[in-house]
Amino acid sequence: MKLGPKAAAAAILVSAALTLTACGGGAAGGTGTAKTASLTLGAVQELRSWDPAQAHVGHYLQPYQAAYDSLILREPDGKLSAMLATEWKYNDTNTKLTVDLRTDVTFSDGAKFDAEAAKANLDHFKTANGPQMAQLTAVSDVTVVDADTIELNLKSPDPSLEFYLSQAAGLMGSPKALGTEGIKTEPVGSGPYVMDKAATVKDSQSVFTVRKDYWNKDLQKFEKITFKILIDGTARTNALVSGQVDATLLDPKTGKQAEGAKMKLVSTEVDWQGLLLMDRDGTKNPALGNVKVRQAINYAFDRKTIVDQVLMGQGAPTSQPFGKASGAWTEELENYYSYDPAKGKALLKEAGYETGVVLDVPAVPGFETQLAVVKQQLSDIGITLNVGAAITNTYTTDISAQKFTAIFFSLFQGEPWVATNQIVSTKALYNPFKNTTPELQAKIDAVEKGGKDAGKLAQEVNKYVVEQAWFAPLYRVNQMYYHNSKITVEPQVQQAVPSIYNYSPAK
Amino acid sequence: MITFILKRLGSGLVVLFAVSILVFSLLYVSSGSIARNILGDQATPDQLAVKEAELGLDQPILTRYFSWLTGALQGDLGTSWFTSEPVSNALATRIPVTMTMVIAAMLLISIIATLIGVAAAVKRGWVDRVVQIGAIIGDSVPGFVIGIILVTILAIQMGLFPATSTISPGVSADAWVLSLTLPVIALLINGVTSGAQQIRSAVIKQLERDYVRTLRSRGIGEREVLFKHVLRSAAPAGLTVLSLQLIGMLGGVVIIEQIFALPGMGPLAVAATSQSDQPVVMGVVMYTVAVVIVVNLIVDLLNGWLNPKVRAS
Repeated sequence: MKLGPKAAAAAILVSAALTLTACGGGAAGGTGTAKTASLTLGAVQELRSWDPAQAHVGHYLQPYQAAYDSLILREPDGKLSAMLATEWKYNDTNTKLTVDLRTDVTFSDGAKFDAEAAKANLDHFKTANGPQMAQLTAVSDVTVVDADTIELNLKSPDPSLEFYLSQAAGLMGSPKALGTEGIKTEPVGSGPYVMDKAATVKDSQSVFTVRKDYWNKDLQKFEKITFKILIDGTARTNALVSGQVDATLLDPKTGKQAEGAKMKLVSTEVDWQGLLLMDRDGTKNPALGNVKVRQAINYAFDRKTIVDQVLMGQGAPTSQPFGKASGAWTEELENYYSYDPAKGKALLKEAGYETGVVLDVPAVPGFETQLAVVKQQLSDIGITLNVGAAITNTYTTDISAQKFTAIFFSLFQGEPWVATNQIVSTKALYNPFKNTTPELQAKIDAVEKGGKDAGKLAQEVNKYVVEQAWFAPLYRVNQMYYHNSKITVEPQVQQAVPSIYNYSPAK
Repeated sequence: MITFILKRLGSGLVVLFAVSILVFSLLYVSSGSIARNILGDQATPDQLAVKEAELGLDQPILTRYFSWLTGALQGDLGTSWFTSEPVSNALATRIPVTMTMVIAAMLLISIIATLIGVAAAVKRGWVDRVVQIGAIIGDSVPGFVIGIILVTILAIQMGLFPATSTISPGVSADAWVLSLTLPVIALLINGVTSGAQQIRSAVIKQLERDYVRTLRSRGIGEREVLFKHVLRSAAPAGLTVLSLQLIGMLGGVVIIEQIFALPGMGPLAVAATSQSDQPVVMGVVMYTVAVVIVVNLIVDLLNGWLNPKVRAS
């Protein structure tokens, strides 16, 4: 061989250089937003469609707020205040909601907002088959009273209706654009910002610029808002600590890295996690039909230790499925089931299940640690937890088809009537065996007709399902939202991420 | 030659057709929850029924398959069930990002792996040992781990590159290069190390052959022997490895794109699969199979061009 050592070394050097040729040095690809009041948010999901009738909750609601106003604005603490609706009032039987509207608002395509436009939106929402279509189920029809007044007529009272009008159902799009193909990819609303179509890339980023002549300058705190789609948690963390985004949602693990980079945490409780003991009549698993068995399950868990170990302290132990911000939550139910394995065993003995109980749950990706802890603590009192096959994308259908007698899951804690219809009423997806008793039904009916007192009345529903151990909640999870020092952020109660109105440039 | 290409393309179409039937059937089995997934927890049975009719889910599988096939043959791959975006649009915006990365990585792998492999085969000794150790490390560390290390050091600590993609319409070529550099490096490390290994072995094998001794005895220069004759004979082994690398890369790129938030095929494939978004999954699968078929064809043609012995077979 005549190839000298230099040539050989050169071969390696050349290859290394080639690898680096792409590294054209230069400036960091960071935000580069020196003094401009722009806000870049790391979003965990792309929207399916910009049609307001396809709007959803939490993560899926925030971007719509840039382009669309809603009839009612929900303050960070959950209080409802005027937005496109100036006033709203129920009749005595809570079956008719009269809504007064602003008269000085136009949509970004020039169309005027009035009673006809509001009706067109509500009618469209009812028929567009969107993910939150159920929000207007109780509304039979919408009547235009005059240019700035509408009436929503209800089939039956719905204590959540005003809340819904601050959510997906309340978003108002231009009547000219509703139902067109165009609105799916480009929003047409009366909101504080308009989409910059040229800079928007599906599944990558949605860019909005401030709208001129908007009716409420107080809501326009930035010149530009960008929603950068970052599905992967690692990508979100990297984007935040390197300054590419100003705020994003992380978790206890990635949050540590963000804290190390001096990011600020805004935390709020949104979900609860635990067991849903769904077969309460014992149709498929007779043991679950016995309240003492269900109570025994609840006494098996050392909730505080689980929060400390599994969630790194980022949660609050609880025995109740209703959230703290809903009026249904009470202090006395918080630690209703203490950690008492001896009591758990005694209850099993009383129930005639001294020899043990077998509980089957499906495996839920991401909950491996929780399931392992639950399995171990249940085995301490003589209950065998079998973790079956992993859930698939037929999960919700499988639940409604009574495939599972119990599940371990994470569920959103919403307004009392929303939560009741999510997990307690016979219509609830998470009550697939349609368990109920006359006593419980009476309490649920009281909530439905309760109007302003719905929250307080729901305390009775909450108390009933806790005492009857319909569930075995373990804890409420802290939603960990991080931001840099360029902005301030106020958390939004019962919402996965803050509403866009809650962000401000740092003073 | 033309007959060969046509034959191969014909068999490729048969494979595409067979895969489409198989994937469609698999998706059919898991399409029970689509309407529920789209409409959410609170949807009523009536709403679900309306949505299913809207998507044609109430039709028998054969009807659904033939309507998809008819559309696909006319270039219409349908519309995403979840985002209402035409599938061909979704693919058209994403394929450039993914293919830019894959092609850049493949070109770099070909050059770097060849240089390193030849150097190791010719020099042996310490160079060879370094390459061997590098190969073991490169093979055992997954690309996404390398990606995370690169981001931590070069993007977050040193600020040389963006931590996540900044590719969007109208950005300069610089932004493309800066956004794609780290992902491409993460993607090519495995390929370079295993490619270099294969090329090294193939070159060593050729160097021991009689014709090399004959060429040398005729006084032909070492460089000519190496780059004109030995490499040409060693090429098929290298090409086969490269084609396997490229096909494997279509899987690896999915994770890399997630980490770097690149708007390529990866996130689309992940989202569509997890939601059972049938039209999109079908589009992604068809594209992937087509790439594999074309890559294999190109490799065979290159092999034939480089090595006359292969041509006859």
